[in-house]
Amino acid sequence: MITGEQKPIDEIREMISPYKRILVLGCASCVAECAAGGEKEAAMLASTLRIAAKMRKENVLIKEKTLDRQCVRDFIISLDDIIGKYDVVLSLGCGAGVQAVAEIFPEVPIIPALNTGFLGETKDQGYWVESCLGCGDCMLYHFGGICPLARCSKQLLNGPCGGSMDGRCEIDPDVECAWHLIVDRLTKFGALDRLENIYPPKDWSRKQGKGPRKIVREDQ
Amino acid sequence: MTGEQKRTLALYYCQNVPASGEKERQDLEEKYRKSIRLFPLPCSGRLETVHLLLALEEFADMAYIITCPEGECRYSEGNKRAKKRVGRTRAIIAGIGLEEERIGIIIGSKDNQMSLSDYASIAMENALKLPSSPVHSRP
Repeated sequence: MITGEQKPIDEIREMISPYKRILVLGCASCVAECAAGGEKEAAMLASTLRIAAKMRKENVLIKEKTLDRQCVRDFIISLDDIIGKYDVVLSLGCGAGVQAVAEIFPEVPIIPALNTGFLGETKDQGYWVESCLGCGDCMLYHFGGICPLARCSKQLLNGPCGGSMDGRCEIDPDVECAWHLIVDRLTKFGALDRLENIYPPKDWSRKQGKGPRKIVREDQ
Repeated sequence: MTGEQKRTLALYYCQNVPASGEKERQDLEEKYRKSIRLFPLPCSGRLETVHLLLALEEFADMAYIITCPEGECRYSEGNKRAKKRVGRTRAIIAGIGLEEERIGIIIGSKDNQMSLSDYASIAMENALKLPSSPVHSRP
């Protein structure tokens, strides 16, 4: 899941201030799961902006709509019938959603209302944690399903730093030591010998440094 | 209530609050007329931030939620969730310059249980302490 958090309301109001007809556009996928940009949040933001406008006697039209996915063309084109009614779209999608909508409707300004965060998982109600860096070369097999890049504060690939106490990270005691978890898991599966391998420094060229990454599937 | 004092209150309440049945609801509507809009909830945990915002946007000078006492929620944590959502809504409206006191919560007391009517009176008294909402242009 891609996480995000709503930008401060002052920043949002500043960005939309030149416009009179505003569509608040939610996304019912990842950012809905992390309670930042789904149907409920789109309704909340639209209502908040309408209240602010009414307080200042500003004559603006603010409506909301939510797409199933803001990063998929098939869903975005459903805006075709209504987007002409608006001066601007205030997107509650992630950065990918904002750009996807902008590409399909280049004549309309698309403004981000979220700060896109990380790839993570829902741990509990209202609690999300980063668990994947999207490095492009997954090593979870070697580490018992625990990613030392995403979950070790020092991103160590060849064993623990030795600074953890009671399974907690020395950098942030709120964080479980990833290497403690890795050793526990591999021990449980009788696969501790995987740690006898020496892992070279991570090749980050598969994540960044060559422009936007692409996936092309001929069978799709 | 004089004309100058007129306020509109959105009152959400947990249906486990004492004397909050249909008859009592109708009596309250009769007593307060358009000054109060009542929204019974099976549990205050069903209250969402957007409900409070929409009330302030559409018609209300103030929105209140009445919950059962802490530790007494039939569904375990409903009143705790309501309290957090009230906090969030207050932060949102404060962010746009609206008084956060326009959102209120009354948490019932185990020792001194009051009726829905009593709670409504308290909420209405609090509503009258604030000026009319700048969101609504009323004569």
